[in-house]
Amino acid sequence: MPLRDRRLESTGSGPQSDPAGLVWGAGGGSLSLTGNWTTGALAGLGGMTGLLSPSGASVTVDGRELTALDTAGALLLYRVLEGLNGKAGEVRLVGLDARHAALLDLVTERLRSQGEAVSALSAPRRPGGLERLGRTAVDWGRESYSMLSFGGAVVLALSHAFARPARFRWRQMVAVLERDGVGSMPVLGMLSFLLGVVIAYQSGVQLRLYGGNLYVVDLVGITVLRELGPLMTAIIVAGRSGSAYTAQIGTMQVTQEVDALRSIGVAPLDLLVLPKVLGLVIALPLLTVFADLAAVTGAMVMSAMMLDVSPATFMLRFPEAVSINSLLTGVAKAPVFAAVIAAVGCYQGFQVRGGADSVGRHTTVSVVQAIVLVIAMDAAFSVAYSWMGI
Amino acid sequence: MEAEQQGTPTDPVELRGIRTCFGRTCIHEGLDLSVRRGEILALVGASGCGKSVLLREMVLLARPTEGRVRLFGEEVADPDEPAANRLRRRIGILFQQGALFNALTVLENISVPLKEQTNLPAPMIRDIAMLKLLLAGLPPDAAHKYPDQLSGGMHKRAAMARALAMDPDLLVLDEPGTGLDPVGADALDALIGDLHRSLCLTVVMTTHDLDTLWRVSQRVAFLAERRILATGTMGELSESEDPVVAAFFRGPRARAARGAAWNRG
Repeated sequence: MPLRDRRLESTGSGPQSDPAGLVWGAGGGSLSLTGNWTTGALAGLGGMTGLLSPSGASVTVDGRELTALDTAGALLLYRVLEGLNGKAGEVRLVGLDARHAALLDLVTERLRSQGEAVSALSAPRRPGGLERLGRTAVDWGRESYSMLSFGGAVVLALSHAFARPARFRWRQMVAVLERDGVGSMPVLGMLSFLLGVVIAYQSGVQLRLYGGNLYVVDLVGITVLRELGPLMTAIIVAGRSGSAYTAQIGTMQVTQEVDALRSIGVAPLDLLVLPKVLGLVIALPLLTVFADLAAVTGAMVMSAMMLDVSPATFMLRFPEAVSINSLLTGVAKAPVFAAVIAAVGCYQGFQVRGGADSVGRHTTVSVVQAIVLVIAMDAAFSVAYSWMGI
Repeated sequence: MEAEQQGTPTDPVELRGIRTCFGRTCIHEGLDLSVRRGEILALVGASGCGKSVLLREMVLLARPTEGRVRLFGEEVADPDEPAANRLRRRIGILFQQGALFNALTVLENISVPLKEQTNLPAPMIRDIAMLKLLLAGLPPDAAHKYPDQLSGGMHKRAAMARALAMDPDLLVLDEPGTGLDPVGADALDALIGDLHRSLCLTVVMTTHDLDTLWRVSQRVAFLAERRILATGTMGELSESEDPVVAAFFRGPRARAARGAAWNRG
């Protein structure tokens, strides 16, 4: 870290070269101030001021050898004088330069005017473990409640938008389709292809033992189309677009742009949230189909190379092994995932208060919550599908 | 007078032949400016004439397209070199928006430069930071508040306290008075004057506040037509025959502020 080096490096000319000092005169009746009493040169004196113990009834503090004084030095000098005042009967300050004296007066005056308030002030108390637990629980409850009401507000606004489609922000929605839909195709395609390769390889190693090479088609087809395709797509989009929504709305919140929209009479929900939700609800099923294709292609390539299943055989086997239901049940989850990702991303954006720090925190929370909710939803879908017997 | 006492005849800031261009538009061309030790120099000019950019170049946060920047007698070729950091430490900056760290309390904000650049013990840093807070005219209970809990004026004062944390030789103020009520602005003017007198601080500021110009500044540099068109005291500039200068310093608002300055004595 360069910071540490900088701290120890001398500033060259001036203050640091002549550190501040306090020297007792013979007999303990006089105390002379030496060197530079400036911020950078005070370190040696830090703990000493409370330990001064004058031997006589009166002390003369001599400032003739003082070469420089700044506000930090003046503060320390004030503390020295304060300490002596408590112990010696009489404290005299002599030989102080006029400008230094003026500075000492300024510091003394500021400290005295606020004196009692300053000494009474202590850092705010840190809450104990039980209190923190309670607060966290209450915060969780509040957060869940306000997230639910945000979801409700989005649904309500959507229904209004459907009632009056002319007022809907179609351009923004198209921008979402382009940026978050088309834009995520390269990374999604590549990752899904690799996913297909990995699944085909891992299952192929096992299947080859039984001579059931051809069943790789069944395995890959069903796992990818039903589960991994939609899940993979949702997770990538949550990381890529959900975080962007939070950061965008959060920054607008910090710079008061959200307030500005409200004051102009534009509902932030209409402009910032609905196009994203609707855009993602349209884009995610399409992306899921694309991811399915890429993953199956990956599996096909791997099968041809390792399992002696030629692409032609693979394609002939595919419709026999995988029913259309597998594709549909997978794709049907995508709009729900999309709504969750977009809503959580926007909701966290609106929760940002203060500054940059808060934007970062809420962006993290947004991605984590979106992924957790997506996986929970996926589990719920599995249960529901098995009830329905699909 | 101050320069003799300090024993160094060099000016804290010396700008020579500064040219600053953004793409094809140049906002400074052949600009020269010296800031003398211990003076309060105000940089004025119309909005958008490049005052803030010039300040940023002065404190090594930006680099001019061409020209030389000398600080405390040392020439800085590259703002990224370690020597530049040493010079930066002698400069306190009050940014236009305050630029306090939002994640830290006011007292912690003021302590940051002290912690990073000195090896003073922690209680002493707290003590010094508290003093700076009081010097900037904040009430003691502001110490443990976060920047977003402060009003605009208190925010400015807290930023001022942080700028003063290291007792800089050069204090650079970008629009110190904006966002303050008249009483607050007056108090800030008085504070700048006080600190300047007792610390023999060199102050460079940009301002649009004509009251501040009349009461605080000792010398005014007028930035127009891409260079420093005129320098002088407010009295001199307001008597200037140059039509551009006259238009700026003799408008109705300028006359009112001057009247106020006379009345106050």
